[in-house]
Formats: sequence, structure tokens, C-alpha cells
Amino acid sequence: MHYQGDYYWGYYMPTRSIGSDPMERVVKLASEKAVVIFSLSSCCMCHAVKRLFCGMGVNPTVYELDQDPRGKDLETALMRLLGNSQPVPVVFIGGKLIGAMDRVMASHINGTLVPLLKEAGALWL
Amino acid sequence: MANHRVGETGLTDSGPSSNHHHHHHNIPYAVLHGMNVPQSFMHQEGPAFDFGELEEAIVLQGVKIRNDEAKPPLFTAGRPEATLEMFPSWPMRFQQTPRGSSKSGGESTDSGSGVNTISSKTENQVEPESPISKKTSSLDQQQQVDMASDISRTGTSQNQSAAAKTPQEKRRGSTSEKQLDAKTLRRLAQNREAARKSRLRKKAYVQQLESSRIKLTQLEQDLQRARSQGFFLGGCAGTVGNISSGAAIFDIEYSRWLEDDQRHMSELRTGLNAHLSDSDLRIIVDSYISHYDEIFRLKVAAAKADVFHLITGMWTTPAERCFLWMGGFRPSDLIKMLISQLDPLTEQQVMGIYSLQHSSQQAEEALTQGLEQLQQSLIDTIAGGPVIDGMQQMAVALGKLANLEGFVRQADNLRQQTLHQLSRILTVRQAARCFLMIGEYYGRLRALSSLWASRPRESMMSEDHSCQTTTELQMVQPSQNHFSNF
Repeated sequence: MHYQGDYYWGYYMPTRSIGSDPMERVVKLASEKAVVIFSLSSCCMCHAVKRLFCGMGVNPTVYELDQDPRGKDLETALMRLLGNSQPVPVVFIGGKLIGAMDRVMASHINGTLVPLLKEAGALWL
Repeated sequence: MANHRVGETGLTDSGPSSNHHHHHHNIPYAVLHGMNVPQSFMHQEGPAFDFGELEEAIVLQGVKIRNDEAKPPLFTAGRPEATLEMFPSWPMRFQQTPRGSSKSGGESTDSGSGVNTISSKTENQVEPESPISKKTSSLDQQQQVDMASDISRTGTSQNQSAAAKTPQEKRRGSTSEKQLDAKTLRRLAQNREAARKSRLRKKAYVQQLESSRIKLTQLEQDLQRARSQGFFLGGCAGTVGNISSGAAIFDIEYSRWLEDDQRHMSELRTGLNAHLSDSDLRIIVDSYISHYDEIFRLKVAAAKADVFHLITGMWTTPAERCFLWMGGFRPSDLIKMLISQLDPLTEQQVMGIYSLQHSSQQAEEALTQGLEQLQQSLIDTIAGGPVIDGMQQMAVALGKLANLEGFVRQADNLRQQTLHQLSRILTVRQAARCFLMIGEYYGRLRALSSLWASRPRESMMSEDHSCQTTTELQMVQPSQNHFSNF
């Protein structure tokens, strides 16, 4: 993709203009990379999910929301998205929402996670 | 004849006031025959033998008084009036009783026996001196009513009933005809009132005792059941008090679950041996999976209530505890145990099982690393250098500790998903055998715990161990459950 060069300005523009809509930002960030994990650096479950993907040989893109100036909004948006009390960790694969840790583990156990990863180009065996 | 119904709880019109037949069949059957009166009997305010009635009968024999109007409620429980002049024809010893015998203990027993005497000798009025005297003494104080005084009578109807009774009292056999006076009436009413209060207190006390007794037997049963399952409450019988209520509740639920497990397993066994059709077997297998789903549900609540109880494995037996992983069994270990026994498997099934083992191992590893990070973070919080604000430090640590629940939940989730996936990979018959194997495996592990605990030790005895071993092995009584699968 060539968005980084030509649309460099365009890349930042949306975040400022849609700064009031964290959900859009979540979706946008999620669709940019094959495996996207929203996390908090202090969260241990987030650490577990990161270790899971790394253990499988996947290189996820991680957004630490406590290091983002508008992280709080993103957390709220994620909580609303999942209907959870915990905003993180949340995993997107190929732009599609997988869910929190329990969904990720369930899909790994029932064998649907690896095909998704391969489809998204995050894993090649 | 409604008045003759035992167990009637109406307070208004029951009893002698509306009862025109003062025969001894008013007395409750149980009391009449000295039977152990059940608690429900105590509720009745229905027609029954009535002391006040008898007393009045004795006193007012032959006197027709219409006192309906003259019924101001001066019937307060209190010291009895001087009653000595009431029964001039009676023996003198009666005079000592009112204040002297104010003990609660013996009197009710006596009145109890007195009832039976009276009941058979309704017509004979010479006899019952003691009950009356005892009754007057019952006015004396708030006493703990206990024993056998099983006479129930009308309650609030007493106040109105006195007057209505009196015309009927004439008909009863009586000793002497006595002139009614206000003092007598008042005393009688006070007697009745006090006796009524005594009965109510006694009723409440008996109710309390009964419910405590039931609770106690239930607790004993649960404890017995839990023990027979090879389950050790913190390894020591006397430390039940150290267990949190959430943990205790879960322990009880878990022991019940283990009983259910036995039931399910025998269903599986008979289903397999009977060569049921696949659809029938599927029903049994599915119900077994739901049975497992239930324990995971219970564990969710238990994790919320007392995560340490789960994660330290205090709910399991020692041998299980030894192999515990994050509050339960390790899924990859289970699959490893099953792999060799599940033959024959198709190639696809083999691949499915191995990939299940692989993915569960990866998931376990991830969770373990997450938990390790939690531990490290907790250590850092508590250990942390200069303690500027101890409370703040503790608060942060508490917040981190709360994450334990999440890990136990994810681990249970992993266990549950693994079992479900197994049932998807395997055929119905294979799944039935598989779950039977799992159940038997853990049953043996629990049996191992029991045996280990009761194995012969070389404690403080230095003599020959061989015979000791033999005797102790003979003494070891494995419970039925543990060895039924061997």
C-alpha cells in the first residue's frame, strides 16, 4: 500500500477530524494491520494474549492505550463494542473483530484461529 | 365440628367459647396418649384441654354468671391473687404452692402428667390440685417453658371466653359451688394470660431447637458426603471455621457434582455395554458435557467469591492438587492421557487430537506467562522500596490481585473448550468412552489421595513394621466410589 507516502497527511487528517469518534478510530486502526491488539501496558491478560500470538509465530500490532493521548476514549469505545467491563485486550484479525481473551482462546481451541491468521496473511506455515 | 380439628390455627372462635361439648376428646389425641407431639401441633390454638376452663369449672360450678359486659381487660399477667380462700374444702397444702413453686423446670412436667390424669378423670374434681397450683405459679415470671406441657388452648379468645364459658362450666362435674367474685375472675384471667404467654414462649423455643437440629443434621450429612468422596477440607477436620463462606458453598456444590459424576459415568457405562444406538448414546454424552458445563459455571461464581480457594486447589484432593494448573486440570495433560487410549482413530481424528493438544499447550503457556507477569507486578508493588504510603501500596496490590479471578476464569474456559472440542472430533461411541476414561482417571486420582493419607507410617513406633502394615492395609476401607472403576 502506498498510503504512507502520498497520504501521509491524509493519514493524520482523519484522526484529528474524527477525533471525537473513537469508534471510527478503533475500526480504522484495526483494519490497518493483519493482527491488531488493543492493550494496556499494565494489563497482565493483555500480556498473555500477546504471548499467545508470539508463541504461534505471529507478529501482532499492539496499541497500548495508556500511552495514547486519547486512549481513554478508545477504551470506552472498546467496552461498548464488546459489552465487557474490561476494555482490553481486544483482538482484530484481518480487520475483523475476534473479541477478548475468552473468544480468542475458544477460537484457537476449536481450530478457527489459525485459518483466520493464514487468511489475513499473519501466518504462513 | 370444626373445633375438633387438630392443627387449627384460628385464634378467634376456637376453643371452649364456641365449644359446647366439654368432653375429654377435646384433648389432642397425642397429648392424651402421651405421644411425642410434633412441632406443628404447637401451632394450634384450637380446641383442646384448657386449664383455665377446668379451674373455672371447679370454681364456678353451679353458678350461672353472665359476665359478658363485665369483661374489662384487667387480665394482666402478674402475681397471683391470694387464692387461699378459694378452696376451703381442699387440703391445706395447696396454700403453699403459688409463690413457692415458681420454678419452671419441674412444673411443666408435672402439669403434663397432670393433664393425663385430668383427662381421664374429667368428672372427678378432687384430684387435680397440683395442676392448678402449678398453673398459678406459672404467672410468676418469664420462664423458659420447655417440657411436656402439651396443652394448647385458645389464645386471645381467653378474654372473651371466660364469660361465655361460665354458663357451660355449670355442666361439668365440680367439687364445690362457689360464689364468683371479681378477685377470682381476675386471678383466673391472669392465670390464663400467663399460661398463654408461657406456651407461646415455649413454642418459639421449640421451633428454634427444631430448626437448629435440622440444620445440624444437614451439615453433618454434607460433611459426611464430602468426606466419603475423598475430599479433604483443608486437610484437617477441625479447620472448617477457617474456610470462607464462598469456598464452603463451592465445596458442598462440588461434592454434589462428584456424586452426579458417578451417576453419569454409570450411565455411560451401561449405555456403552448395552450397545445403544448412536442417537441414544448422543443424549447421554451430551448430558455429560452439560454436567461439566455446570461445574465450570459453579467455578465462575466460586472464583468471584474466593479465588484463592480455587487457585490453591483447596477444593480438590492432595493428589489432584499436586498436578493442579491454575485452579484445575491441565488440558494438555488430559489429552496426553487420552491419546493412547482412544484408538482406533481415523487419520483426520488423529490430526484433530494432536492439533488440539498443540493449541491447548500454546494457550496454557500464554496464560501461565500472563500469570507470571501478574505475580511479578504484585511482588514489585508490595516489595517496593521506600514505603511512602503503605495504604496506597496495599490498595494497588489489591487491585492487581483482583486479576487472579480473570486468569482462573480463562483457564476454566480453556478446559471447557477442550472438552467440547474433544466431543466434536470424536464419534459418539469414542466420546462416550473418552468421558468415561476421564471420569475414571480423576476418580483414581482421588482414590490415590485417600490411600496416601491412610497409608501405614513409621510414626513414633520403632517396632516391626511388617505386621503393622498388614493390619493397617486391612483397616483401609476404600470407599465404594473410588474402586468401582478398577
